[in-house]
Amino acid sequence: MGVRFLVLVVLSVALMVVDARFTLLKPVRSQMSLVLMQTYWITDLPQRLFQGVASQFGSRTELAAENEKLKTENLLLQGRMQKLAALTEQNVRLRELLNSSALVNEKVEVAELIGMDPNPFTHRIIINKGERDGVVLGQPVLDARGLMGQVVELMPYTSRVLLLTDTTHSIPVQVNRNGLRAIASGTGNPERLELRHVADTADIKEGDLLVSSGLGQRFPAGYPVATVKEVIHDSGQPFAIVRAVPTAALNRSRYLLLVFSDSRTPEERANDAAQAQEAEQKGEAPPIVPATVPKPVTSVPATAAPAAATAVAPAPAAAEHKVVKKPAPAAAKPPAAAPATTRERQ
Amino acid sequence: MAGNHSRNGWIVWLTFAIGLLLSVSPLPQFMEVLRPLWLALLLAFWALALPHKVGMVTAWCLGLTEDVLYGTLLGQNALILALITFLVLSLQQRLRTFPMWQQSLVILVIFGLAQLAQLWLSALTGNRQPTLALVLPALVSALLWPWVSYGLRGLRRRFKIN
Repeated sequence: MGVRFLVLVVLSVALMVVDARFTLLKPVRSQMSLVLMQTYWITDLPQRLFQGVASQFGSRTELAAENEKLKTENLLLQGRMQKLAALTEQNVRLRELLNSSALVNEKVEVAELIGMDPNPFTHRIIINKGERDGVVLGQPVLDARGLMGQVVELMPYTSRVLLLTDTTHSIPVQVNRNGLRAIASGTGNPERLELRHVADTADIKEGDLLVSSGLGQRFPAGYPVATVKEVIHDSGQPFAIVRAVPTAALNRSRYLLLVFSDSRTPEERANDAAQAQEAEQKGEAPPIVPATVPKPVTSVPATAAPAAATAVAPAPAAAEHKVVKKPAPAAAKPPAAAPATTRERQ
Repeated sequence: MAGNHSRNGWIVWLTFAIGLLLSVSPLPQFMEVLRPLWLALLLAFWALALPHKVGMVTAWCLGLTEDVLYGTLLGQNALILALITFLVLSLQQRLRTFPMWQQSLVILVIFGLAQLAQLWLSALTGNRQPTLALVLPALVSALLWPWVSYGLRGLRRRFKIN
């Protein structure tokens, strides 16, 4: 019996080492999870049934009230969207003036939470989208109010998401008000993040919104992460203690959004954007050489003379840049440019 | 592992399946730290009742399934469950003669040891729990042992599992 135990111990240790160091066991794990992850689905079943029954028996007045509420909300959101379209357009134009890379619209997909990690000391959840749905490792996950976390383990039809508040998780953030950069680490408390190594004199105060800065190359920039709850200046400590509350409802959200941002490098993205723009301009005015008519200048209001003057200066540079970036492929393979266009202008 | 001549062996596996469900079922936040070690409890009972059928290899395989469910390193829970079964089996002769409360005490010690080993293993992988609260599941399991034991004994008599 002792020998058998010893063999099992050695086997377990070997498995653990192989699993930690190599990717050899990943297929085994994903095959096993194919069957085993159904247990999460089964344990989630009662709640699902309850929801189904509740929606079956919801009274008419309740539904009407909810409908009313949703309509109002929709109206408000659409009102905000109108402004957003104008602002996005303006942002694109200003970025063109500055000759910086274009903003890319991310695609999102809805996923549903099917289970929590049973270990109370880790903050991980299980969602119902996996490798076969195109989820990738490290993919950011949002809810309606802000960033929630990232995908850390892929299984065929499910995946495991590490939440922002897990003690092993940190995310680069930026104060929305002034662009101050910091790193927000999880504390193991679902309602608290801590900013590490913030100087005592840094301009950060209660109520500041922290957004993702995109510096870690993992999370897209500009999504709300947390709001600062308290800033403690302790003269005995080398750094200020900054505590923040995640904006996402980490332990309440049932429907999540998976963000699909493109995996291209910034250069490729700039290339594609330039090609897309050229294709667009060609479409507008085919006979003229496109680079000679820089689009940004035409869009600057004529009344703002000084602004226009300053705007003209960088514009030729942008135009040159585009000429350089215009190889034969732009004309040779329009199909490549076409999807890029749709991606940019979504 | 299940022999071909055994009767109603599937019931044992059914209890293990239910144990797996229980070990991932959602609980209120304050109760999550108290979640009993269901699989370990079931294994302890069946290892005492049917030592020729449920042994360390069964425990190890169940541990692997638990690893996949929890997303821990493959082999971590397998090692823990094999350890628990090994200790139960080596104390088997004495445990059988003990009254229930004494069995509970032994279970508490065994599960506590296993949880400490668990702490050590998860510290190696960088997920060290900040508190010793992880001994609580061992306590809750020990308190549950008499009920689990009586319940499963009734089940065993009724279906004449051997």
